[in-house]
Amino acid sequence: MYWGGNPAECHPRHFTKYTLMQKSKFLPRGRKDRTMILVDIRETKSGGAADIFLQIRPGKDFEVLTILRAILKGQHVNESAIAETGLTLEQLTDFIDRAKKAKFGCMFFGMGLSMTRGKHMNSAALLTLAAELNAFTKFVAMPMRGHGNVTGADVIMRWQTGFPFGITFNRGYPRYNPGEFSTVDVLVRGDTDAALILGADPGATMPQPAIDHLARIPTIVLDPKVTHTSRLARVHITTSVAGISAPGTAYRMDEIPLPLKPALKSPYPTDQEVVRRINEAVARKSHWIPDGGPMTILQR
Amino acid sequence: MIRITGGKIFDPANGINGQVRDLCIDGGKFVSSVIGGRTIDATGMIVFPGGVDVHTHVAGGSINFARAMTPEDHRRTTAFIRTQSRRSGLGGMAPTTFATGYLYAGMGWTTVNEAAVPVLSARHTHEELHDIPILDKSSCVLMANNEILLDLFEAGDFERAKDVVAWYICAAKSYGVKAVNPGGVAAWKWGKDAKQLTDPIEGYNRITPGTIIGGLAQIIDELGLPHPMHLHCNNLGAPGNVWTTLETMKLLEGRRAHIAHLQYHAYGGDDWDTMRSASAEVAEYFNTHTNMTTDAGAVLFGDTVTITADGPWQHLLYKLTGRKWGNLDVENETGCGIVPYTYRPSNLVNSIQWAVGLELLLLINDPWRIFLSTDHPNGACFWRYPEIIQLLMSFDFRKECMTKLSPIARERITLPDIDREYTLYEIATITSAGPARALGLTQKGSLGIGADADIVIYEEEKDIAKMFSHPRYVLKGGEVVIEDGDIRATPEGREFIVKPAFNPDIESFLKPKFEDVYTMSFENYPVEIERLEHVEVRDCIDT
Ligand SMILES: [Zn+2]
Repeated sequence: MYWGGNPAECHPRHFTKYTLMQKSKFLPRGRKDRTMILVDIRETKSGGAADIFLQIRPGKDFEVLTILRAILKGQHVNESAIAETGLTLEQLTDFIDRAKKAKFGCMFFGMGLSMTRGKHMNSAALLTLAAELNAFTKFVAMPMRGHGNVTGADVIMRWQTGFPFGITFNRGYPRYNPGEFSTVDVLVRGDTDAALILGADPGATMPQPAIDHLARIPTIVLDPKVTHTSRLARVHITTSVAGISAPGTAYRMDEIPLPLKPALKSPYPTDQEVVRRINEAVARKSHWIPDGGPMTILQR
Repeated sequence: MIRITGGKIFDPANGINGQVRDLCIDGGKFVSSVIGGRTIDATGMIVFPGGVDVHTHVAGGSINFARAMTPEDHRRTTAFIRTQSRRSGLGGMAPTTFATGYLYAGMGWTTVNEAAVPVLSARHTHEELHDIPILDKSSCVLMANNEILLDLFEAGDFERAKDVVAWYICAAKSYGVKAVNPGGVAAWKWGKDAKQLTDPIEGYNRITPGTIIGGLAQIIDELGLPHPMHLHCNNLGAPGNVWTTLETMKLLEGRRAHIAHLQYHAYGGDDWDTMRSASAEVAEYFNTHTNMTTDAGAVLFGDTVTITADGPWQHLLYKLTGRKWGNLDVENETGCGIVPYTYRPSNLVNSIQWAVGLELLLLINDPWRIFLSTDHPNGACFWRYPEIIQLLMSFDFRKECMTKLSPIARERITLPDIDREYTLYEIATITSAGPARALGLTQKGSLGIGADADIVIYEEEKDIAKMFSHPRYVLKGGEVVIEDGDIRATPEGREFIVKPAFNPDIESFLKPKFEDVYTMSFENYPVEIERLEHVEVRDCIDT
């Protein structure tokens, strides 16, 4: 099941390499042995690959998920609540019957679920539905991540700081608060006096006040190409392209690390090389952090 | 060069029990004498070899998933502040990598064995291990639910299975083999488990958990891995599982094995209401069968997060607690579940678990065969080891703690009747010399000439937990890393790996299988040796 995503266009290898087409020991006929349900607010190219398409009203994801959980638990759902979702009781009941009968169910959800009305509450409702289906059969759920190696950044921030993003070090240790310490919030508030941008183009996607602040402060961009952000930056260092002319590791959406083996040579340095040299140059400056003092504190 | 003078030496590997001797260090190792250099006056102090943890979870996909799931704990725990020489980080239930190194070294542990590595994500595990400063590390790969291996067992193709295991160890750049709930994690892909050693595994016709356990133990012995099969038995955590555990031990007669976190496998009774301690039965059998070692997997009351490759068990724990649940299926190799958990003295099951861990440590009479562990973070976090040491060394303290248990709980355990108290020499054995020997790390857990100069020096003090929490000095490879409660140096640790031999033709057998069952290509699968820094390849042995 895919919910709020359009893998046919956004993750074009997903059907063929992972979810639909592969023949396997227990699914020898490949696509024929699988059932795919697509849930979205509009028809997309992914619809062509679906056995069942459930078109729900915009902004009603949380309600649909809650009703599905109620049906799974055999609870009564009132008709007007169902009518608001754009689906019928038959469709919803059929969904749950099929899910319970599946040998192994997978739910993938995209930004159409996680970034629309309800946001993280929607993701939580879908994850809870997947967890509760395990009372009947095996079920798992996974977000469809976007943009390059965003999972890799998550994974490393977690092992070094305990948190995936939205982290501040302004007290000398990691603290986390999305909505306060996320990049976009820090920029909009004007709480930073310099920026180093790697593997991202916030100038193309962030709200205007954040972009204005990036233009005001010394912004340094490491990117192989000219981007919206590099145009407004004080410094743009051209780097080689990860996976094409630079080696490294990319974490897949399921957090499996894949080695990047460059096919071409590049005249430009890698991101890693540039950051290493910046670090070395900073290390030659006199240290601004005092040594000694308490090693740890207890947060209360 | 360093000379440590006047300390009372506890060095079980060399039979030294509290005698005052000098230790000399040069080039990171113990030598017979040194001229010049620093002298550390340890007069009146207690000197141990650096601690060795035979079973812990500190790096890789599962602990990193646990970190993601517990931001509320990060917010209330100890924070490490960045200084010129140290990275910042967080302690707590699932500490960050840098903090893990500081916390272990801060209480005198210098070597750890990461007990559960899926080969598919071994690259990730090594990257995290590299970010754990000070400690030397080894790791075990998960093999007992690998479907390529299970298919070979099903086909009775033992020789090829042996080559496949050796190939996987080399691909993962790992040190040993871990077997978790053999067959049960594979069955979990069907939402099932494997509870009986003699029942066929879901998805297979012939093989049973018993087939896998026997087959893997034989393979590991024949490959001559320095550490025996590291086994998490079937039926973990379930009332009455003592029978599975004893059956497993009988199956292993004549083979080497390390039974992980024995506490979770020593319960009697029929259900949660009738559950009781069965540590006496387990200890009695274990005491007379010297082919095995074990670690306690002790439980302490308080908050933690449980993580294990035992997916079906974690689903049950989620249903029992109603708390957060994370599940990771690792393709055709293994699985993983994560559930935050609080052990409470008011809870009958938790009380029994707390007692069983201590009972096993006290009833198993050879400290060279049972080691201190909490299966971090499952039973408790590793930084709480000093509390367990205090429980082992003081019967009075145990009695005081037992007053918190309900009368029913006290009837279901044997702890009140055990008055054994550990000596310092025995503590040095279960925390260092013993686990080092079980891991086959001959240069660890010893203060003898030629061994790695990993040392912990305590100021003698009545409060045992305090003494073991705050060593006066810790030396790693001859370098002072902790002094007076402060981190003085954060050298990078080594990684121990083995390279068992295999028939190179196995690659042409595996390559087409990879295209069938893996989502990663065969060429990209093995971890490149260049990715590991400070590697030490250890020899295989004659078993
Ligand atoms: Zn474990």
